[in-house]
Amino acid sequence: MINIKLTVNGNICKLTVPVKMTLLDVLREQLGLTGTKRGCEIGECGACTVIMNGKTVNSCLVLAAQADGAKILTIEGLAENGKLHPLQKAFLEHDAVQCGFCTPGMILSAVSLLERNPHPDEYEIRQAIAGNLCRCTGYKQIVEAIKSVAIKRKHDDSNIL
Amino acid sequence: MNYYRPKNIDEAKRLLQKFAPDSRIIAGGTDLLVEMRHANYALKEHLIDILKIESLNKISENGNELIIGSAIVHDQIANHPLIKRFAPLLSAACSVIGSQQIRNRGTIGGNICNASPCADTVPALIALEAKVKIVSPRQEREIPISSFFHKPYHTVMKENEILTEIRFLKLNDNQRCAFYKLARRKALAISRINIAAILKISKDHIIEEARLAPGSVFPTWTRISDAESFLSGKKLSDEIFKEAGNITAQKMIEVSGRRWSTPYKESVIAALVKRALVMAAGELTP
Ligand SMILES: Cc1cc2nc3c(=O)[nH]c(=O)nc-3n(C[C@H](O)[C@H](O)[C@H](O)COP(=O)(O)OP(=O)(O)OC[C@H]3O[C@@H](n4cnc5c(N)ncnc54)[C@H](O)[C@@H]3O)c2cc1C
Ligand code: FES
Ligand code: FES
Repeated sequence: MINIKLTVNGNICKLTVPVKMTLLDVLREQLGLTGTKRGCEIGECGACTVIMNGKTVNSCLVLAAQADGAKILTIEGLAENGKLHPLQKAFLEHDAVQCGFCTPGMILSAVSLLERNPHPDEYEIRQAIAGNLCRCTGYKQIVEAIKSVAIKRKHDDSNIL
Repeated sequence: MNYYRPKNIDEAKRLLQKFAPDSRIIAGGTDLLVEMRHANYALKEHLIDILKIESLNKISENGNELIIGSAIVHDQIANHPLIKRFAPLLSAACSVIGSQQIRNRGTIGGNICNASPCADTVPALIALEAKVKIVSPRQEREIPISSFFHKPYHTVMKENEILTEIRFLKLNDNQRCAFYKLARRKALAISRINIAAILKISKDHIIEEARLAPGSVFPTWTRISDAESFLSGKKLSDEIFKEAGNITAQKMIEVSGRRWSTPYKESVIAALVKRALVMAAGELTP
């Protein structure tokens, strides 16, 4: 067992966890943050994607011990004061959510993309979500949703993210 | 099971001194965590995380050399100005590894040490004639990456050793290079075949030196010396690139024998070698 401290969605969490436990398990089982999904558990589906110290990672491939001291953003932490994030809104507006299983990871990959590259083209969008599988195959709507936020940002040129 | 996160290399050496061989190094964990899920994984009591060791987290230059710390992740290499400028085939190789999530976490050291036949950084590093530095509690050694591997998933590393850095000479302006990867699916695909090429080209378009390193083709990594010597001294042309591809394919059959996948691989490898060479020669190809 090991003692760790994580800052999850702005909240400091002190936990004692087995060394073998993944960040995914800590988020879901210990913190009850089930927005982060458990899929393949071998890095291929991206359902478990979270943002750790500013970068997207597959939380199934990170030991909780390795995340000690890190800042984690999960899908639960994206809305602010009950207001949906522009990408969340766009996913709803573009019917980019079918069963919703891939959505949290997909949105976090998109958030990270727009932070790195505020005006991605379609190819860059597809590259950025290549590690997120949608079993409902709603990729077209997903890409459209992300594009709409990028375009809106271009017009507003305000920092909505 | 115990977990340690040394902050410097001396601390890591002390841990290895104390615990090896009942210890395992973990970097990004993108290979190790998958491996740990297998039922027959031999669990080690002590896990030593090297990601926070500062000296392993640097990309630097020293004269005409580039030095990459083993804990540098693929995304950093893919986007680093020095690597893009002086070893573009390595940044290209790193930019097509796995997914953004994997590139944010997987390290170059882990890619080398895991020694998978389809590791994407390895052909590029072999073409660059890179050297790797290996540190144990009592000594240090440096070896060419070409003699680092015994066979797939087996390297010269001992259990008390850490790979600390990778270094190679910067490519000059007259050295053109390319990395080409063929995979089943564009993203997240482990390479079926990949190839790294470096061509040193004179002002009058004569190849002065060729380096060709394919991955996933031979049982261990090796350069295609037959094709390399065929190319050197010749003037750039589609025909010689095509012939170099054929030579490589023949070599593959010689080494691996004919298998169920040979007809496919034979024509693919020939075409792939040609394509990598054309890419390397770039706008110079007539
Ligand atoms: C979904 C997915 C897709 C992938 N796609 C690709 C791909 O396209 N191309 C590709 O090449 N790879 C791919 N990989 C494999 C993997 O991501 C890379 O090999 C990665 O570089 C491994 O680095 P790591 O830091 O995660 O290694 P770890 O998993 O931490 O370690 C791997 C092995 O190396 C040892 N080790 C690590 N660092 C050191 C060191 N400095 N000294 C001594 N021993 C060390 C560990 O003990 C372990 O045995 C993929 C993996 C996944 C899960
Ligand atoms: S559950 Fe982590 S990538 Fe599939
Ligand atoms: S919406 Fe069902 S997996 Fe993507």
